[in-house]
Amino acid sequence: MSATLVFMESADDELSQQAVTFAGQLGGEMSAVAIDAGEAYAPAAWAQTLVELAQERGATAVVGPGTDRGNEVLAHVAAKLDQPMSANCMNVTPGEPATVTRMRWGGSLLEEARVHGAPLLLTVAPHAVAATPAADVQVMAVSGSASDADRVVRVSETVPASTAGVSLADADVVVSGGRGVGSSEGFSVIEELAALLGGAVGCSRAVTSAGWRPHSDQVGQTGTKISPEIYIACGISGATQHMAGCKGAKRLLAINPDGEASIFASADYAVIGDLHEVVPAISAEIRKARGT
Amino acid sequence: MNILVCVKRVPLTGGKITLTEDEQAIQTRHLGFTVSPHEECAAEEAIRLVEAHGGESVVLTLGPAEAEEQLRDMMAIGIDRGIHLVTDGGEWDPQATAAAIVDAVRADGTQFDLLLFGNESADAGNYQVAVRVAYALGLPVVNGIKGISVDGAGLRCERERTSHPPGRDVYAVPMPAVVTVLEGINLPRYPSVPGRMRAKRKPLAAAEPARAQPRLEMVRLKLPASSSKQAEVLGHGADAAPRVVEILSEIGVM
Amino acid sequence: MILAAALAASGWLFAVRVRFLVALLRSGAPVTRSGDVPVRAEHEATIVLGQRKLLQRLGPGLLHALIFWGFIVLAPTILIAMIGAVSKHATLPWLGHQGWYAFLVDIFATLVLIGVAGAFWIRKVQRPERFKGSHLGEADLILALIATIALSLLLWHATRIALGLNEYPASSMPVSDALSHLFGHDGVTRVLERAFVWVHVLTILGFLAYLPRSKHLHIASAAFNVWFGRTRARGRLEPLRFDDPDIPEEDIRFGAGTAADLTWKQMLDTFTCTECGRCQDVCPAFATGKVLSPKLLIMGLRDQVFADGGAIVQARAGSDGGTGGPAGPIDLTSLVPTAVPEESVWDCVTCGACVQACPVSIEHIDHIVDLRRHLVMVESSFPSEAEPMLRDVERSSNPWGKAQSERADWADGLGVRILEPGETAPEYLYWVGCASSFDERARTTAESTVKLLQKAGVDFAILGAREACTGDPARRIGNEYVFQAFAEQNVETLNEAGVTKIIANCPHCFNTLGNEYGDFGGDYEVIHHTELLSQLVRDGRLTPRRSESLSVTYHDSCYLARHNDVLAAPRDLVGAVGEPVEMARSGKQTFCCGAGGAHMWMEERAGAINENRVREAAETGADTLAVACPYCTVMLDDGVQSAGAQLRVADVATLLVEAGAAD
Repeated sequence: MSATLVFMESADDELSQQAVTFAGQLGGEMSAVAIDAGEAYAPAAWAQTLVELAQERGATAVVGPGTDRGNEVLAHVAAKLDQPMSANCMNVTPGEPATVTRMRWGGSLLEEARVHGAPLLLTVAPHAVAATPAADVQVMAVSGSASDADRVVRVSETVPASTAGVSLADADVVVSGGRGVGSSEGFSVIEELAALLGGAVGCSRAVTSAGWRPHSDQVGQTGTKISPEIYIACGISGATQHMAGCKGAKRLLAINPDGEASIFASADYAVIGDLHEVVPAISAEIRKARGT
Repeated sequence: MNILVCVKRVPLTGGKITLTEDEQAIQTRHLGFTVSPHEECAAEEAIRLVEAHGGESVVLTLGPAEAEEQLRDMMAIGIDRGIHLVTDGGEWDPQATAAAIVDAVRADGTQFDLLLFGNESADAGNYQVAVRVAYALGLPVVNGIKGISVDGAGLRCERERTSHPPGRDVYAVPMPAVVTVLEGINLPRYPSVPGRMRAKRKPLAAAEPARAQPRLEMVRLKLPASSSKQAEVLGHGADAAPRVVEILSEIGVM
Repeated sequence: MILAAALAASGWLFAVRVRFLVALLRSGAPVTRSGDVPVRAEHEATIVLGQRKLLQRLGPGLLHALIFWGFIVLAPTILIAMIGAVSKHATLPWLGHQGWYAFLVDIFATLVLIGVAGAFWIRKVQRPERFKGSHLGEADLILALIATIALSLLLWHATRIALGLNEYPASSMPVSDALSHLFGHDGVTRVLERAFVWVHVLTILGFLAYLPRSKHLHIASAAFNVWFGRTRARGRLEPLRFDDPDIPEEDIRFGAGTAADLTWKQMLDTFTCTECGRCQDVCPAFATGKVLSPKLLIMGLRDQVFADGGAIVQARAGSDGGTGGPAGPIDLTSLVPTAVPEESVWDCVTCGACVQACPVSIEHIDHIVDLRRHLVMVESSFPSEAEPMLRDVERSSNPWGKAQSERADWADGLGVRILEPGETAPEYLYWVGCASSFDERARTTAESTVKLLQKAGVDFAILGAREACTGDPARRIGNEYVFQAFAEQNVETLNEAGVTKIIANCPHCFNTLGNEYGDFGGDYEVIHHTELLSQLVRDGRLTPRRSESLSVTYHDSCYLARHNDVLAAPRDLVGAVGEPVEMARSGKQTFCCGAGGAHMWMEERAGAINENRVREAAETGADTLAVACPYCTVMLDDGVQSAGAQLRVADVATLLVEAGAAD
């Protein structure tokens, strides 16, 4: 009899809800838990809570979202149980052994793997499935079986964000610039368009490496992963590590003078041209449409 | 402080990924290689901490003979010595990797105050080697760090919050500890040529660990289904602007 | 007696200074500037004696030539005057009695005065921009001393004529003769005769002592500096050696960090600068408002060399007993930013206009590159926007950071042969270059070139993914170490394939492959694509149709025209497709597009070099701006956009295809 325990960051966290949907593929009983919001985040202690629950409920699988904390907590569960853990899975087929398809290279490559262990431990690739709101989420306090050692690493304070403005990870519109922008001053046209659309400014890794924008603006596999309604990529050629950061975008508009740029293979809309001409023209057109 | 940094040699994939015929690996002929990005920042962080607080930094990799290039690159920017766990280039799953690292740390004998890892490797992205190493060595571990400073006998680690409210979570972590970092924690320095030359002569210890049977066993690699979508060309140059604004309107972001 | 004392004093002052200068030069880092003696001799004859480079500006050049040739002719008069100062009736044996020589002296002394007068007029009335920053006071003093010497000589002769002391007829010395009417045959004149000769002699002796301590040193050092200038391959930078077994690692020269690191040729360059400013006048960076002035660069380095000179000489004397070679470890001031502002170092586009303009063969580019080498390789200090380029060249083998596996994608479907490992090379290896492989604007050049080569039946292939960056951007920004790694790698690939002839469409690849790879075991016959295409047109293997309504102006690439003398071939092709019209700054006077010296990868601060050039092109009224370089293609096209000009930028190969040559 299979039983799946799903770890949620919170009941209304979208990626956690996706994990619940995903867990449906495993069949059998399912219970979804989140840790009490009043508890300071302590990955080892939270993992210990899940380990205990899994043992109590005879869970054959423990599933979490492929988020920053989800991957961490499941890694702790895996280390405690000395069992394999598959991060960022796209799908799973239970069995002996179970098989998973998981993301490599931020999603630009997939791996089919057999998992030799029990319980099956995995995290779900963001946006691999659509979220269905979870009906029954139990909110737990951290288990008493969590030791002092488990609590050593915990959040002791939170420092508020110093930057105002739209957060890149949450923005509905992201306008990014790449090497084609040419200089730090060149980003003013990107900033203008982003401001007109109430969006955030992003950039490619070459831009951060050149010192034109801070790393916090970087969209990519090792930067921020975004999921806007529309991602406007200007002067970005489309390296896989960049595309891994914007896979979550609902739509991609690429503006590039090179018709052969690899980004066009992943784009929904294309404008072939120099961003220094195109972007200001779009901004002007927006102002015209708004009568400002 | 004695700091160990673990790095991995990964290819620079460019605009598209191609697989070998047997689907067991990426076709890396004509590709360049580098240290995985988060880890390069980890090495830079180790160097800065040792510059500020004294001690020694060590870089370790589990990888093929060619991975020595990555070790020398890290020594060129200032890491003091290296440990190369030489493999035949095949796949090592996270548990086997962690076990080999733990054995090497014990064999080295140094009491490391800090073991730095990248949060996840650019290629396999398993998010767990550092955590497993920490448990095996009985050390506390925290992931995803964007800022480290020494605070008395321990470390103050900062981590970007991914949920509301935006900001940074702070962890006070006693040493010795394992910490994984994210790119953006610093900007790695560019190596000097004297540094590169010195790196060639810095000590490098090599071992050939035996690979454990994989518990997470890669069967094959495959490319994600390419969407059959053809980008709709909205126009060329500034003339495309009106059509773009139409689309933005349709989406509802105007 | 007095003369002996004055001569001894002046001679001693002169000798002490010269000994110091020579010791300083011997402390300079080594560089090989020997061999090619016939060419060196030719340079001496044309540049020094013939004043060829000075005459690039006819007016001032002629004035200087008069002064210079004047002094050559007048040289023996120094002895004559000294003899005459001691004994009123004595003179130099034989020469002192030759009427024809007296005539020459008279004429040339006058010409010298005319030259000086002209020079004063230029400096005081015309006041050209090129003197901004020069030490005008020192120049005025020198001109005044020269005038004094020439005038005192004429007046001495004049008084001698008046006193009847000359043995040849007055007609031998028309000017002095005319001046002699100012003087009577009397006691005053007798005193003046002695006065003028002594003023003449003492001024000369004083000048002698002053000379090696002023910029007038050039009259001695220029001859040497010209001799030791490059004789061939102007575009070749001299390599650094990182693996000399005789040099311990801490003594490896990584370019120039302090004055002690400069090579003896570089030190000699700084001694020889006359502050004429011709280099400053032609520098595209200076012209667009940047900090760099090649003249101020050399002057700044000179001042630092002299400020640190004593310490440098002393250190070397202490360390190795003066057998030559670098000074021992001493604590000297960094050249950047003390002697040379940091922005200057990065402003340079290595176009070579300064080197071409310099009348005394100063090689400014060597200084800039050596300063860059130290900053990049030792201090890791360079404009941050260039870091992606440096990392990408090293890790991805091209400055675009794209995967080499995609390098030949441009050739898909064009039927181009890719040379595989183990295969022997065809007649020509077409070296495409990173720009034409990865940049969409430069790509059309490669596409056009292969179509033309195929039409003409040329036996060629490309290396595809095995073609790594030549390393030029890394070398020009100063990372000689990374450059050499690529040079060695590419030479190995080319040699293994048995490549002997290479076609390159990029002048930077052309220059590096042809002029620089020889230092790494790569000796190939490298031709620019326009050279081969123009030959094919001449041979009738390509037949473009000329359009009279196509008005084309051709922009010479610095690395083709100035560094490598390729001027005619691209012009032939332009003439074969349309109506050529030349810009004012064309041929070897071409004005850079702004991409050289790794500037393709750096931001431009202050005014834009490419816009400056585009405006000039637009003024010709042509509708097409033809280029022969992928960097020029991109820079000038960018310039057309930003300047809003009505010009189409296209490579000559593309124009040929459009003229039907590949049909």
